[in-house]
This record gives sequence, structure tokens and C-alpha cells, in this order.
Amino acid sequence: MMARSAWAVFCKELVDALRDRRTLLTVFLSSVAMGPLVLVLISTLVSDIEKRADARELTAVGLDQAPTLRNYLLRQTYTLQVAPPDYEKQLRDSKLADPVLVVPADFENDLARGEVPVVEIISSSANQRAQSGVGRLGRLIAGFNREQGTLRLAVRGVAPSAMEVVEVDERDLANPASRAAQLTAMLPFFVLMAVLYGALNAALDTTAGERERGSLEPLLMNPAPRLALVIGKWGAVSVVGMLIAVLSSFSFLPGQWLLKSETLAAMFQYGLTEATAFLALLLPLAGALSALLMAIAIRCKSFKEAQANATVVVLGVSLLPMMTLLNQDGEKPWHLWVPALAQSTLMARVLKGEPINPWDLAVPAIGSALLAVVCLAYLARQFAKAAVR
Amino acid sequence: MIEVEQLAKRFVHGRGKKAREVRAVDGVNWRAEDGRITGLLGPNGAGKTTTLRMVAALIAPDAGRVRVDGIEVAAEPMKALARMGVLSDARGLYPRLTARENIVYYGRLHGLSDVQASARADHLAHVLEMVPLLDRRTDGFSQGEKMKTALARALVHNPPNIILDEPTNGLDVLATRALRDSLRRLRDDEGKCIVFSTHIMQEVERLCDHVVVISHGRTVAEGTVAELSARTGQSDFEEAFVDLAFTPTERHDAGELAGEQTT
Repeated sequence: MMARSAWAVFCKELVDALRDRRTLLTVFLSSVAMGPLVLVLISTLVSDIEKRADARELTAVGLDQAPTLRNYLLRQTYTLQVAPPDYEKQLRDSKLADPVLVVPADFENDLARGEVPVVEIISSSANQRAQSGVGRLGRLIAGFNREQGTLRLAVRGVAPSAMEVVEVDERDLANPASRAAQLTAMLPFFVLMAVLYGALNAALDTTAGERERGSLEPLLMNPAPRLALVIGKWGAVSVVGMLIAVLSSFSFLPGQWLLKSETLAAMFQYGLTEATAFLALLLPLAGALSALLMAIAIRCKSFKEAQANATVVVLGVSLLPMMTLLNQDGEKPWHLWVPALAQSTLMARVLKGEPINPWDLAVPAIGSALLAVVCLAYLARQFAKAAVR
Repeated sequence: MIEVEQLAKRFVHGRGKKAREVRAVDGVNWRAEDGRITGLLGPNGAGKTTTLRMVAALIAPDAGRVRVDGIEVAAEPMKALARMGVLSDARGLYPRLTARENIVYYGRLHGLSDVQASARADHLAHVLEMVPLLDRRTDGFSQGEKMKTALARALVHNPPNIILDEPTNGLDVLATRALRDSLRRLRDDEGKCIVFSTHIMQEVERLCDHVVVISHGRTVAEGTVAELSARTGQSDFEEAFVDLAFTPTERHDAGELAGEQTT
């Protein structure tokens, strides 16, 4: 009787939830499609920056009066462009995507006399694209400085090594995947939110919604065990949440093909293995969050009241992952026992390409299962009370 | 057959010093026989809904007992519920499901198969004259259509005992008549035990074989309409009901109020 009743409730609730097309569509657009969309936007930005770096273009004013500098820049294979007259305004309005080098009129004479001419690099810190070129331009001028200095020393018979006592070589220990993780750090957040919002409506509808419609009281007058009703409802809500989890985990696969930046595409390694790891983390969480939302909503008389109360869960799920960002001590073992925090921590690890052992996957699953069991027991107890209150 | 003996239930509102005890039901007795329509008549707040909720095992009584076809509701609630069809005060339907799906859902919770439940839905649609509604979504149904669907849903497992809590609330004259006809048919053709709560005298006069008057959480009188009228010496049943259900003070207060309104 128990299993049959639970199955009957499960089937009905699932049909009911899937018929709520408008809500599902909203969840789909706002949560599932959001992640890949953001990914594509980032990639457009990155590829734009890359294109500028590759283009080796330089925008300047007054270079004509500075043949030495001009000669140096041309030797570095830069294409020189004359800045438009209203470059300051254009930079401020983010219409000009390159910083502007301003060379004074008597640059060449000052240089020849051994005085120190001042060049200006003009950009706006509010203009992201131009700002990203400032460092490059600065290094370019520093290169010119070094060359001129070395030449002057050589003329005076000093060895260039006298100026450079130490040679610096940079080595980046991060592998490509962990560099990509800086850019893709927000993906776990999007996926978590998608799962939460996927389960939210169904969870509220089967509890507070049922009370508001006045259908909970007649439902409890059926000879079905309370626990069977609770488990059937929870199963249906979880399945909706899990469906969204599957969709959002796999939505990054085609999202990846749309990546415009080749470097980012090379760095963002998200294949079937990663998607499967995401799912292994998200499916238990979908179950736990469904139970938690239902347990909170059963106390509420109306759908609206339940929505207000569910905000606490939404806030928790969005703030918990921040702990890893704010906490300077890094990851602690107990983090893996906290639902939402555990999943975001481990998803970040997956994106960094770090290995995850089975125990790391088991701990959050057990944590989620414990939360679900506690919430379901509470629900079964509250069900009868809620119907008549 | 449903037997209710010395049923009592009190609710506590508020907490601490503000706590206030309300005796919703305080010694209700009645007996509903098979093949008979029993009416629970009482003013608003008399304890009818609370009594019926205890019969349907939704809330546990503080004292007294309820037996349905000899089954103790407190001891074996699931077994008792299987022999009852309850149309409660709250009769919400699922708006995204069709009437048939709403009915079949309850059938499956009663242990019927999909096919059996669907066949019952067809049969009940004939009895309750709602065949054209059956495969429409219940979103947008009128009050009468909702009531019929909810009634069909409560009767899907063909229960020998039928309990209806103020079923005519919100129904127009035609829908009320249709419901009365259906209930008579269920009594005469299938010999059901029907319990019907209401605060409307006409309902009871037209329909009930046996009347139980409940007031202030107690059973104050029991009998046929004619017996109750004879007992109070009133020719009009409404007068008889007012005599039975209200205290002289209440009648006096209400009379004064009515007098003020007319002048």
C-alpha cells in the first residue's frame, strides 16, 4: 500500500508540475540558459582583448615629431594609428578601445639633448577595453627606454650587464585549466541556482499551494500513509530539480562550442567527464534542497508566504559558496559536509581539473541524504496539522 | 453505519497567560444508519466541521469514540477511511488536471488500478450528470462543476458511507437540486449511509430522514423533522430549530437586533 500510494502521488505530482509550462519555461530561460550565455559573453570580451593584443596596433598623438620612438615602434612590428582629435571624449565614452600615447612636440630635441621628455599614456579606468591595453603600452615604452639607455651606456663603454645585474624569468605554475577556473569561477553558482529554482516552484506548489487551494485536507482523507504522500511528493519535486540539474550541467557542452576565444576554449575544459562529475554532485543536492523547501513551505498558509520564507534558502545557497572566497584559511574538511557549500567547492575543483576521489563525492551525498531524511520526517509529522490549521 | 459516542475536542488558542481554551465539541452523540440520509443541523460554529474531521481521522478526539461499520477510527484509521467517502469543507481540485485525472488520482490512493478508477469516473459522471466535464481541466470550472467533481472524487472507491460537510455552500438553486437528486439516488439505489452537515433548515426538511441538532458542541436533539417539530410544539421547522439550537438569551439578543433593524 505504501509503495503504491507513493507511486500514485509521484505520478500525479510530476504530471502536475510538468503541465506548469510557463513556470518551467521561466526557470529554463533564467537558470539553465543563463550559465552558457554568461560564458559566451565572457568569451566575447576575452576574444576582443586577445584580438587587440594580436593586432599590435598603437594609437598615438604627435608621433610624427618623434622619429626615434616611431622607428622603435615600427621595429616592434606595431601598426601606428593617429588618434582622433576628440580621443579624450571617446575614451571617456568607451568608444575608443585603445589607450592613447601622447608624444610632446619637442620630444626628439629633448631626447637628443639628453633631457627627459615626458610622454603620456591616456586611458580611463572606467573603460575596460582601453584599460586592458595600458600595461602593454607601458611595457612597450619601457622597452624603448631600456634600448636608449643601453645605447647611451654602450657609447660610454659600459657593458650592458652592468645595468642588468639580475635577469628575471617568470614561470607560471598554474596549468591551463586552473587559469581558466578564474574566469569560470561563477559557473558553479549558476548551476546551483538553476537546481534551486528548478525545485522551488514544485516544492511550494505541493505543500503551501496544496494548503492554499484547500486540497490538502481531502488528500489526507484517503487511506494512504502520510509518509507515502510525503515521499511521493518529494520524489516528484526532486525529479524536477534533477531534470534542471541535468539540463544545466549539459548546457555547458554546447555553450563551449560557442566560445569565441580560442585560448578560453582551450582553457575551459568541460567535457562529458566534468558534466558527469557535476551531476554526481548535483543530483543528491537536488533531493536535499527539495525536501528542505517543502519542509519550510508546509508551515505556510499561502504560496506567497512560502515564497517569502523560501528566500532564506535561496540566500543560504547563494551565500554559502562565498565562504570559500572570504575565508583565507582555504578549504576545511567540514566544508564538504555542508550542502551547497560542498557542491560549489567540488565543482570549482572539477573546473580546475583537480582530481576528486570517491570519498569526496560520497561526503556531500551523505550530507544531502541526512538533510533530506530530517526534512521528510518533519514533513510527515506536520502534514496532518497543516491540513486543518 | 457510523456511530459517534461522547465525542469531545478542545483547542487552545494563544500561549502563556493569553491562552484561551475553546471547547469546539463537548459531548456529541449520533448514529447514522445505512440507507438513510442523516442531517447534522447546527448554527455556524456549533462544532459540525470539527466532528466530521474527527470522524474522518483528520484530528484525534480528546474523548469519545467513532466507529465506522464497526471499525474504531482511532485504532484503524486507514481501514475506516477506506469505507468512507468524505466531501470536506475544503474541496480544492488540481486546476492543471482534468476532472477525470482528479478523480482517478484519489481512486489510485484507494488502491484501485488506473482502469478501474477511470471506469468509476465514467460511472459517477453519469450519476452526477457531469459527463461533458470529465475530460476538461478543472481550471475555470463553476462552483457547481467543482462540487460535482469533488463529490465524484470522494465517491471513487464506492464507499458504503458518505460524509458531506456543508455541500450546498456556494451552489445555486439548480445545482443544489441536482445534488439532492444525486444523494437520494445514492440512498435508494445503493443503500448508502449518508451524513450531511448544514445550517440550512430547508435542506434538512427536503432531504433528511433523520436529523441531529448540534449546538455549542453538544447534541441537543435527534429525530425526524416531524418528531422534532412535535417535540417543540412548533408547526414550522425553522421555529423548532431555533427553539432547540439557541439559548433563550441568544434568541432574545438576536430578536432585539432584528427588531432594531426593522424599525
